[in-house]
Amino acid sequence: MSRMRPLARRLLAGLAALVAAAPLGAQTTGGVAGRITDAATGLPIGSAQVSIIGSTAGALTGTDGSYAIRGLAPGAVTMRVLRLGFAEARQPATIVAGQVATVNITLTAVPISLSPVVSTATGNQRRVEVGNAIAQVSAAELTEKLPVTNMGDLLQGRAAGVTVFGGMQPGAGIRIRIRGTSSLSLTNNPIYIIDGIRMEGATGSSTVSVGGTTPSRIGDLNPEEIENIEIVRGPSAATLYGTDAANGVVVITTKKGVAGRPQWTYYTEQSAVQDRNNYPTAYTGWRTGTTAGTTTTRSNALAAFCTITQVAGGACAQDSVTSYDLTRDRQATPFGTGYRYQHGLQVRGGSEAVRYFLHTEYEDEDGVTMVPQFDRAFMASRNRSLSAAQSNPGGMAKFTTRANLNVTLSPKAEVAVSSGYISQDISFPRSDDSGTPGIAANIYGGPGFRLNTTSTGDTLYGWREFTPRDIYQGETTQQVERFITSMSGNFRPASWLSGRANLGVDYISRTDQQLCRFQACPNIGQDRLGFKIDNRTNFFTYTVDVGATATRSLGATLESKTTAGVQYIRNTFDRNGVTGRQLPPGGVQISAAAVVTGDEATSESRTLGAFVEQNIAWRDRLFLTGAIRSDRNSAFGADFKTVFYPKLSASWVLSDEDFFPKPDWVNQLRLRSAYGASGVQPGTTDAVQFYSATTFRGEAGDVPAVVYTTLGNRNLRPELSAETEVGFDGTFWDSRVTAEFTYYSKISRDALISRVLPPSIGTGATARLENVGRVKNAGVEALLTIQAIKGENFGWDMSFNGTTTANKLLTLSDLPSIVTSSTLQQRAGYPLNGWWSRGLLGFEDKDGNGIITYNADQNLSEITVSDTNVFLGNPLPRRELVMTQGFEFWKRRLRVSAQLDYKGGFQVYNNTERIRCASRNNCQAMFDRNAPLFDQARNVLVREHPSRSVAGFIEDGDFLRFRELALNATLPTEWARALRSRSLGVTAAVRNVGILWTKFSGVDPEAFGTTGDAPSSFQAFGPPTYFTFRFTFGF
Amino acid sequence: MPVQTMLRALRSRLPLVAGRTVAPVAAALLLAACNPSEFLVVTDPDLVNPADVQSAAGADAVRLGALRRFNAATSGGESFLVLGGLFADEWINGDSFIARQEIDQRVVTIENSFVLGASRDLHRAAVAAQQAIPLIQQYVPGAPGWQVAEMYLVQAYLENLAADVFCSGVVFSTVENGAERYGGPLTTAQVYARALAHADSGLALVTGTTTNDVRVRTALQLVRGRILLNQNQPALAAQAVAAVPTTYQYLQFHALTASSNNFWNWSNNTARYSVGNTEGQNGLNFATANDPRLPTCQGGDVICRAISVTRSNRDDLGTPFWAQRLWTGPETSFSVLIGAEARMIEAEAQLRAGNAAGALATINAYRATVSGLTPLTDAGADAARVSQLFRERAFALFGRGTRMGDLRRLVRQYSRPANTVFPTGTWHKPGGSYGADVNFPVPFAEQNNPTAGAGVCLDRNP
Repeated sequence: MSRMRPLARRLLAGLAALVAAAPLGAQTTGGVAGRITDAATGLPIGSAQVSIIGSTAGALTGTDGSYAIRGLAPGAVTMRVLRLGFAEARQPATIVAGQVATVNITLTAVPISLSPVVSTATGNQRRVEVGNAIAQVSAAELTEKLPVTNMGDLLQGRAAGVTVFGGMQPGAGIRIRIRGTSSLSLTNNPIYIIDGIRMEGATGSSTVSVGGTTPSRIGDLNPEEIENIEIVRGPSAATLYGTDAANGVVVITTKKGVAGRPQWTYYTEQSAVQDRNNYPTAYTGWRTGTTAGTTTTRSNALAAFCTITQVAGGACAQDSVTSYDLTRDRQATPFGTGYRYQHGLQVRGGSEAVRYFLHTEYEDEDGVTMVPQFDRAFMASRNRSLSAAQSNPGGMAKFTTRANLNVTLSPKAEVAVSSGYISQDISFPRSDDSGTPGIAANIYGGPGFRLNTTSTGDTLYGWREFTPRDIYQGETTQQVERFITSMSGNFRPASWLSGRANLGVDYISRTDQQLCRFQACPNIGQDRLGFKIDNRTNFFTYTVDVGATATRSLGATLESKTTAGVQYIRNTFDRNGVTGRQLPPGGVQISAAAVVTGDEATSESRTLGAFVEQNIAWRDRLFLTGAIRSDRNSAFGADFKTVFYPKLSASWVLSDEDFFPKPDWVNQLRLRSAYGASGVQPGTTDAVQFYSATTFRGEAGDVPAVVYTTLGNRNLRPELSAETEVGFDGTFWDSRVTAEFTYYSKISRDALISRVLPPSIGTGATARLENVGRVKNAGVEALLTIQAIKGENFGWDMSFNGTTTANKLLTLSDLPSIVTSSTLQQRAGYPLNGWWSRGLLGFEDKDGNGIITYNADQNLSEITVSDTNVFLGNPLPRRELVMTQGFEFWKRRLRVSAQLDYKGGFQVYNNTERIRCASRNNCQAMFDRNAPLFDQARNVLVREHPSRSVAGFIEDGDFLRFRELALNATLPTEWARALRSRSLGVTAAVRNVGILWTKFSGVDPEAFGTTGDAPSSFQAFGPPTYFTFRFTFGF
Repeated sequence: MPVQTMLRALRSRLPLVAGRTVAPVAAALLLAACNPSEFLVVTDPDLVNPADVQSAAGADAVRLGALRRFNAATSGGESFLVLGGLFADEWINGDSFIARQEIDQRVVTIENSFVLGASRDLHRAAVAAQQAIPLIQQYVPGAPGWQVAEMYLVQAYLENLAADVFCSGVVFSTVENGAERYGGPLTTAQVYARALAHADSGLALVTGTTTNDVRVRTALQLVRGRILLNQNQPALAAQAVAAVPTTYQYLQFHALTASSNNFWNWSNNTARYSVGNTEGQNGLNFATANDPRLPTCQGGDVICRAISVTRSNRDDLGTPFWAQRLWTGPETSFSVLIGAEARMIEAEAQLRAGNAAGALATINAYRATVSGLTPLTDAGADAARVSQLFRERAFALFGRGTRMGDLRRLVRQYSRPANTVFPTGTWHKPGGSYGADVNFPVPFAEQNNPTAGAGVCLDRNP
């Protein structure tokens, strides 16, 4: 303590000097104030960014367009104004000590523009200064005009190079991949920054299984609270975000207050939700002597069935073939119409000194899965019933509230406090890949007739074994309470120096529960004895981010900006879990269980990083940036200390050069290039060697024991990704056409490969992370927006957002290929998570009987199969194109927009059809000789060929989806006034209108679980369709 | 060019830039320089560090951990005791997993995930036992001999099992003082020799007369006899097991709080395995033999319902579903080794020595200890006597991991064609036939072993 006292005294003295310096400075400075207005209409422009070139000073305009900047050094300055939708404006001004000059500036609207300012790790920066293409999603605009119900809707198809895999059930998580996958063994999730601090964005965020439907924490956010999302696509741009940023960064900015009188907004959304997908029809071929489908028969009573290959082999003769699709039977279908509603209220306003944004919302959604009519009748006849929650097991209720405050402490200092609270309850149906007791497994697995029965003679209506009356008794829920709070400060002690600090924490309390009461749930194992799982997890993500920037005009042509910063990130995960088995009648708590087991898990990761960045601008048209970041992390191996990530970029506004032959149709053309590196850190315990505690049951009872778990790796270091991108962007024809083009090439060196350990080594862990691989991702991203017609009463705009991605595992060093699963392998020269299996090389109906058969004698066999595994395709789309068309009428009061989404160049494992053929005995190719020969061939391959290869079920996943259709109207002011409001907007929209074209024969090429990087469509429901009405009232 | 112009301008103003760069950089360096390690120290309570086992209590915990692993490698996991029976005729597949069906059909790929999983369990137990020995010797020098001997038992038992089920080319590696030491492929004969050496090492250590001494010594004698029989030395095998009482059992215990009995789990609980019944022409009628050593019931019948097997079909909805009644609950203990095997070994030695009457007498003496069994009569011919003996072994030792090895021995030691002993012909589910495999391939994952040749079968002979 005694040593600390002098230090504390010095710090206090320094602080006092800084505080004292401010009023002293105020006496020798001046200011500038005024209004920013639209040159065409004269209307004020709010939220415009006004800044003094060559200094750190600036301000945002209020709703009345006014601004004020104080504390400026006397002299001539140039002001710059930036605002989305308007051309950049500059104006000279003279600052006089002790006076506030009045400078009013007008902006000229342009038809299309990208936001002129982007967020970077060093603070906001003009887009033209950045050597990267940074995608932006205007959340505030999209949520008001389109059917955006969650973060997936908000991001899907909005930015080139960003692939979003959405969930199929309420509350299901989304998975985001930016520029493909580059990490084989670590996460490919981007990191998320919200209002300057890191937030948890894990996918598969649940500890109880319901199959593929798991939440992701990014899904907790409410799109209504977000102003803007920027997507930093790769290491070349994400370098300064440090270790973990190699997969890209999603920078989220929530809405802020705007100076002016309070603006109240109330909105409500009402949606009907339907499952409009086509599910496969089940088939049954009946052996002669049996009665086809008219008699009650046990499900999959194979003795009564006769397959076409058995017919061909003379083993049986078919009496008939029946087919049945229970989803089209009103009595049997589990699909009904779900309902979603949302009510939100927000207010924003304030003064030049204090601005606020307050928001609160309640949202409730019931999924499309219901209790079928026959089940209701069954239960009614037996005086049984399900609870309300059980009757509609897929649902979500969410309450969010946010308070954001911006305070201008002095002309040199501002503080922003951003605070959000989320409370949500999600209940999950056991749908995607949820095994024998899952809904989907029982829908997909039933026979081709309606009157199949249980062992006790009850009719199953084509369900395989269990029906919702039992399945829905299993209750799976997740409760989340989440606070995301940050505080940001900006301080400008001198006109050339600014400091900033972001502090914050993202706290999540998650409770996962699963309950089967005594004598409830399907008769699987010991489930009907009752069990309860209760797992409680706390997540903390702390951020401390401090930086300073020095700027300097070096004469008329050069400007310099130097930024340095330090960042500290700490993540902790702390879980207590308990499972109780064998519940008494009525018992629903763990304490009621006869057998209770508990577990505890903790992990923590800490990163400390520092960076320095130098920007040089020449004549405001050539911008060079060089930077380096160093990181140390608690997960690095003991023999590895610090990692350095370099960065270089250049941006050149070519059209501003005198030598550029600037034709009339070119407004601006910019070339850019960037190189940068970033990393992905290993898991918290990947580097260390350890044992794990366990329990051994001896003759005298349970005793504690330890088992050897993993070898560890003392040399473990982060995966290092280095990326180069080059491109151009420009605006043409009076800014009616905007184009962006980027080529990127990313190499992940020291790729952390989860090296499979040979079984003989005897460790508990089956793999060990080693820095041995090299992965390349390269591709092209292009954005083209066109304002084709811009008239008073009619406008037509369109945008095309395209991406190509090529992914390849360049080397595994000397390791053998990694067999991830029976269908996925990692081989050098091929994409990560490529599909592999013994290939179906050909098929031919040699005997002309219309039935494809297998024979061990190749001369007689009608299928040809490769001797070894062959590459069958890419798991992720290599080509994506999003096309948006918008039509506007009557002074933009009515807008109709549509979005089409194409994905191609990838393969999806139609695992549902595989299990239907291989095990459920109900696919068409098994029983119906009218089935296409290819379908028969893959059926024979998986059922009868010794390889049991599933190659025939790895299908092209290409599709063209009508993603959304929206009609947005701003109703006349008189109408709004009649409802005592300032404004009234109405939106009618449909999300997931349907698939227009696809090569995939399964339910939907996007219908698979929300985790993993290989799309296996396994007993999953397709995406539902949302029909939404939204009303937005302004007061 | 603009870049050159810019650089010229920059050069002349470098001092100005440098001056203002110093402030933020210096601040950052100052913050970064304050011993960053302090911010990065993380202690993970989930882990038990290697230093924590460097004590008497630690060594004992490792020993118990090895037994926990042994439990998983036998009846506490989907081990080779289960998979070997699926490959042979003890069980048939009753679910939709292709990898299990491959095993049932005898067309096992090197990527088979269940073989890999069982292989890992086997090696985990063997390596754990190996690691426990020096720890016990160093930190518990006064430990009773049976404790180290039991670690040798674990190794000997599992090495013999590996030789029984795998092709030639099995690898044994180890981790010593935190560093891995990879082994190379061994022939089947070498693996049996290794197992025998470990059994001998164990027997040399256990000389006392306490219950544990007797328990472990008897188990080692049985394992030794089993190995010698596999080495085609029936007389020595009989000698090795002579002192083993017929009533002896080496038990694995199960509890919901530790590990469940997996025979119960995979058959009665989840119906993914059904007891075999004349599978593939050559299989024995395990399910319907009404043998009191293997009581069965048909899923959903009165008897099955009494042991909570209420479903009448397998997981794949196929029928019949035959459940076993040896292990009727998750906490039912499992006798990994039983004294009956000693009698079977003795009978086989007698038969091989030409003493058919003696063999039959030995068998019948054993049968007399089992309620409900009647004496057998002489089968008449040598081949029939062998079949009779192996059938007797099959029922006496059902589920104990000997059946696959026995079928291989019938081919190897009794010169029977494989397609007359293994399930053969049309598979029991529609479509497909039985293959020709007589053993499991070494899992593909073993090719990550840097030792030359590791991960590839030396041969696939029986």
